[in-house]
Amino acid sequence: MTLTQEPATTVDPRSPRVRLGAFFDDGAFTTITPENDCGVLVATGYVAGTPVVAFATDPTVQGGAMGEVGCRAIVTAYDRAFADSCPVVGIWHSGGARLREGVASLDGVGRVFAAMTRISGKVAQISIVLGPAAGGAAYGPALTDVVILGPEGRIFVTGPEVIRSVTGEEVDMLRLGGPDPHGRRSGVVHVVSETEQDAMNEGRRVAALLGAQGSLDLDRVDDRDLAGLLPESSRRAYDVHPLVAGMLDDATMVELHERWAPNIVVALGRLGGRTVGIVANNPLRLGGCLDSASAEKAARFVRMCDALSVPLIVLVDVPGYLPGVGQEWDGVVRRGAKLLHAFAECVVPRVTVVTRKAYGGAFVAMNSASLGATRVFAWPNAEVAVMGSVAAVRILHRRRLAEADDEQLRAELELQLAAEHEVLSGGINRGLEIGVVDQIVQPNETRRTIAKVLLDTPGVRGAHGNIPL
Amino acid sequence: MAVQRSEIRAEMVAQVHSIVVPVGAVVRAGDTVVLLESMKMEIPVNSEIDGRVLELAVAPGDVIHEGDLIAVVSND
Repeated sequence: MTLTQEPATTVDPRSPRVRLGAFFDDGAFTTITPENDCGVLVATGYVAGTPVVAFATDPTVQGGAMGEVGCRAIVTAYDRAFADSCPVVGIWHSGGARLREGVASLDGVGRVFAAMTRISGKVAQISIVLGPAAGGAAYGPALTDVVILGPEGRIFVTGPEVIRSVTGEEVDMLRLGGPDPHGRRSGVVHVVSETEQDAMNEGRRVAALLGAQGSLDLDRVDDRDLAGLLPESSRRAYDVHPLVAGMLDDATMVELHERWAPNIVVALGRLGGRTVGIVANNPLRLGGCLDSASAEKAARFVRMCDALSVPLIVLVDVPGYLPGVGQEWDGVVRRGAKLLHAFAECVVPRVTVVTRKAYGGAFVAMNSASLGATRVFAWPNAEVAVMGSVAAVRILHRRRLAEADDEQLRAELELQLAAEHEVLSGGINRGLEIGVVDQIVQPNETRRTIAKVLLDTPGVRGAHGNIPL
Repeated sequence: MAVQRSEIRAEMVAQVHSIVVPVGAVVRAGDTVVLLESMKMEIPVNSEIDGRVLELAVAPGDVIHEGDLIAVVSND
């Protein structure tokens, strides 16, 4: 061997070419903007066989900062996705607007935001954040439908240095805008990934679910005994995740906002091969109560599904709204109203299943018949009421209960009155009578029953954008 | 493996229904440590990590508020 062989060219693993290659099927893509130092590269290619437009910012040039030309490239990506009616995916690693270009770069960043908003709700927009996404580059992902964060992803408007100089707070990028704050507290990020490749894979799964929604094949919908996923005691809280997964085709579930507002679960997946969205109360967390954060989380998900023509399945087991001064001051009225609005305006097929209980205002909010649910089903032992029967008789028969001489007598009377109240208020039968529940469905027939409704309901989609509520 | 210490805190106002595992018990992530009662429901409070129950800060009948310490689990 002589030393005449060419030195191996080192390619920066953060370069747009490498990252786009890691994203598209077989690493194959066609660039549609010139490869230069503008800081952005745009390409078309396929994800699980479906066409997708993707762009990557280039952290090897000025830290990925966005200038006038780079921003125009992103707008090109958006225009192309709109023309091709396919998902657009942004792979972000950028310090924000280019300081050297001054106001021109700010103008460019603003045009990116405008492009994102223009096609919001028309094609799916997904962001994969792999490095810092600061300032203008933070709001880019934030305007999109689904934000996926890699282990090195950091999202913030003003960085640690600025914060230190202005407020004196000491914080690093991880604690300021890493997976923990955005996964649990802020709700900025929908999916937190452990590795960069996982983040790419999650982006691919979401792009495929939203870009290639498939058609429902009833033969592929098997019956499953979902009742076994509830605890024996009706008073016991449980984790709803197995039920959500069980409702969907195997291994198709992608949960969004897993750690933020965990008292409600929102997930994309497939039923009989067709993409659907699921909204489910999770009794394990906060008893499954609705609160301001969970209502907002569900509202945004419902509006996204509605705009992108994804039918909804709503699994209801809700004791009510979470009581508390903090909740009221946190705007549970304003933020809770978003969920009412989201369901009431929703035109995609949307089926509700009351699995155990639905009480009070929370019953209304969880895709009730009154808000226009396509169908409302209930499992045989489900309860639909203004409140639990014991709580109801404590109010209705307060005086009579107070007159009871001792604790035991009072408890017995309470139970007796509660049983009477249940007969009077009618339980699920009364619900059927007045039409707030359409039909009792057996747990092991639920999947097929829902699938039939979805098949029989014409698919329309909401004519609105997906404002990041 | 890094030493992890996990403080389990109350998410909401609740009454402590029962203690499921004693101090010193070995638990896996997802195992129930304490059972709370709130919103007419028994709500399991589960460990977030594999480890041993180092401390129980509540007793049956206690009323706890959001943010109150319930238990500490450590894998040390």
